[in-house]
Amino acid sequence: MSTSVEEKSQPSSDTPTSTSTSARTLALPEDASVDGHRIDALLGWSHRFEAGMAALALGWMVVAVWRFRGSKRAASDGGTKRSRAWVLGLALSTFLVVDGALLVGSEGYLRDVLWNLDVPAKDPRTVRIEINAHQWSWEARYAGEDGRFNTPDDVVTWNDLRVPAGVPVWVQLVSTDVVHGFSLPNFRVKLDAIPGRVNQTWFRAAREGAWEVACYQHCGTSHYRMRGELRALSAEAYAAWLREAGRQAVQAYDVDDSAAHWGWEWKAP
Amino acid sequence: MSLLSLDHKAVARRYLWSGLGFLLLGGLLALAIRWQWAWPGRSVPGLAWALPESHGALTPPTYTAVFTMHGLVMIFFAVTPLLFGALGHFVLPLAIGARGLAFPRLSALGYWVYALGGVLMLASFAVRLGPASAGWTAYPPLSTSAFTPGLGQTLVTVAVLCAGTSAFTYGLNFVVTVARCRAPGMTWGRLPLTVWGLFFASVLNVVFVPVLAAATVLLLMDRLLGTQFFIAGAAAVGGGGDPVVYQHLFWLFGHPEVYILILPAWGMVGDLVAFFSRKPAHGYRLTAGAMGTVSALSGLVYAHHLFTSGMSPLLGRTFMVLTLLISLPAEVMFLNWLMTLWRGSVRLTSPMLAALATMVVFGLGGITGLALGAVATDVPLHGTLWVVGHFHLTMGAASFLGLFAGLYFWFPKMFGRALHEGLAKVHVLSSAVLFLGVFGGQLAAGYAGQLRRLYDPYQYTYLKHLLPLNQWTTVCAFLLGAAQVVFVVNLVWTLRRGRAAEANPWQVGTLEWTCASSPPGEGNFTQVPVVLRGPHALSQPEVLEQLGRDWIGQAEVLPGVAREGAGEEALATVSTVRSVT
Repeated sequence: MSTSVEEKSQPSSDTPTSTSTSARTLALPEDASVDGHRIDALLGWSHRFEAGMAALALGWMVVAVWRFRGSKRAASDGGTKRSRAWVLGLALSTFLVVDGALLVGSEGYLRDVLWNLDVPAKDPRTVRIEINAHQWSWEARYAGEDGRFNTPDDVVTWNDLRVPAGVPVWVQLVSTDVVHGFSLPNFRVKLDAIPGRVNQTWFRAAREGAWEVACYQHCGTSHYRMRGELRALSAEAYAAWLREAGRQAVQAYDVDDSAAHWGWEWKAP
Repeated sequence: MSLLSLDHKAVARRYLWSGLGFLLLGGLLALAIRWQWAWPGRSVPGLAWALPESHGALTPPTYTAVFTMHGLVMIFFAVTPLLFGALGHFVLPLAIGARGLAFPRLSALGYWVYALGGVLMLASFAVRLGPASAGWTAYPPLSTSAFTPGLGQTLVTVAVLCAGTSAFTYGLNFVVTVARCRAPGMTWGRLPLTVWGLFFASVLNVVFVPVLAAATVLLLMDRLLGTQFFIAGAAAVGGGGDPVVYQHLFWLFGHPEVYILILPAWGMVGDLVAFFSRKPAHGYRLTAGAMGTVSALSGLVYAHHLFTSGMSPLLGRTFMVLTLLISLPAEVMFLNWLMTLWRGSVRLTSPMLAALATMVVFGLGGITGLALGAVATDVPLHGTLWVVGHFHLTMGAASFLGLFAGLYFWFPKMFGRALHEGLAKVHVLSSAVLFLGVFGGQLAAGYAGQLRRLYDPYQYTYLKHLLPLNQWTTVCAFLLGAAQVVFVVNLVWTLRRGRAAEANPWQVGTLEWTCASSPPGEGNFTQVPVVLRGPHALSQPEVLEQLGRDWIGQAEVLPGVAREGAGEEALATVSTVRSVT
């Protein structure tokens, strides 16, 4: 279990902690999102099917070899109409049950969550973040209190994402140089960061705590070090942090530093 | 048989030795990767001569080169050349009763183009900045000169183009040979399943390798000529191009390539389970049809590799449905193999053990791919070692074991000497068990979230607890490497001292075993056989009764049945064919 932020006013003292004593090797990373449990449940079903199919196929093979090894007589036909119909029927029913369940379950998640950007678009509490991937870091931009990107009060962080727990977080993602992969293993989020296009996704943190951002696309020598942190804060702590960081950003704003103004007008879903 | 011989058997032998050499290289590279995940940054035993500055330890740039070259060497220079170049070249003409391939010069040329590619691959290790390091998929912009400037990346890209050219030539050659050069009476319905597998895979080579060539040439132009087909972002000047186009082109080739690597193995498994269950394959036409259906669908599923690329929901849903659909013919085929065993008389020879082991690893590999075919379940697993374990079980372990099933089966035919059965069985069984250990361990680590291609996975807190698991997996990998010594010993000993093979050691009826000597001479057959029946005429009552054995050659006349219609038709056509040759 992840340790939650104990001192909510001082999130910076917190460290990512998926290293829990209960971390089991044969389990998905801990789920800290509101919606990820649906994927996990579907994967659970998929494993039951996998186990069933593996047991059937391997068991059948072992029994067949055991029973017919060195038999005195072997059948002389390549199957009968009936046996071939059985093969087709068994294949078709396995296919319908297993692939059907995966398709229906997956479609539900796509419709309600993954490709349903209406949720973040319609929720007034939604937090919008623009992320710019580099070799080898995650640069994140918050609109600040004016709600508009590329303005002096934009808050820009490096490898340090902060979000309020419980509300939709809407991410738009680009890359400056090569293809990167933005993943939040504990939130069941994965999306490519590709130069020349804006990709988008969204998620909700179920609770306060600190987790990791990982790059999953090979992006060069230091790909393995392209690691960020994500902190889910209480709504008040998040607002306080954004206010203070925005105030400092305005003070440090340099009109001539065009490289720092990489933000873009928020794109419609 | 000189190096200039155009005979398909000589070309096959060239591919065999080169392919085995590259298999060794690819395997050693794999062990270096596994070492790094178990003992990150520690000196790899025996590598100090190559990496003196780090005393044999992998550095991040070396590591990226190692995993890139492992993938490329294995796919383009080991497994494909061994399945098609060696077994395909050797078996295909013999199995259909042809005197050779349709285009002997093209097949010899194909080998030399492949060899040139191989030389470039090896040379790339010696140039400054090392060989390719942008991953076997070579996604731009990373693979363009702005981000991977070395000469090595260019050499390797050209080498892949060479391997692709050679694959295209033998693909074309095999398709034409099967379509035009079958012996009289060798109807499509009498082809061994091995030939069906090679045929469908060859069609895929002809159709999809040019797509790879197109992507690779455009990438080379981006690297060398300053074009910007795939460059966008900071490296682009002016408009730039689109990196995603490369991804689509690459996987439009890349996914059929998976089937190219496994179809020949499927075909062999189909034949071998029938041969060594001493009965005809169950649902021969269904199995051949299933392989054809998979081949037809193979180009329509590729974009599941791009589920997280931000593709449109319409495309994502379409490819999800098509991907799941391809599991249906695969299930039909697998069930037919199982039904072939049933009511047979199973003989656990070394090729049969390898075929059964292929079924096991392929079955598990296929099953673990289901979750990757549905978008929602793909998300947590995408880009993890789960994917690596899944595709290594299918196109790594299954292709490897299928290859050895074929090699153990046809070795006596290729070299006229019999391998040691006991050593062969030890090799097959230990390899199969250790494959399950290695790739099972990778599935588990991937499920727990371990991402691919990480120099040091333990940079991530959430992956730290996977170190012991990875160490066990690495131990399995090194044992797997050690198990291959058994094969090498068997091979070397047999070639020097092995006893002469019997004429038909496996007692099967296909043409290469019943109509040609071991090894077959120039032109394969003294007389072109006239085929009378299918490849699996085993345990037929009338044969048992008249000949006292459970097999009969595909072209063997059964006394008393010869005057029946089918035989006469075939005999009538043979005279016309003879006059042509």
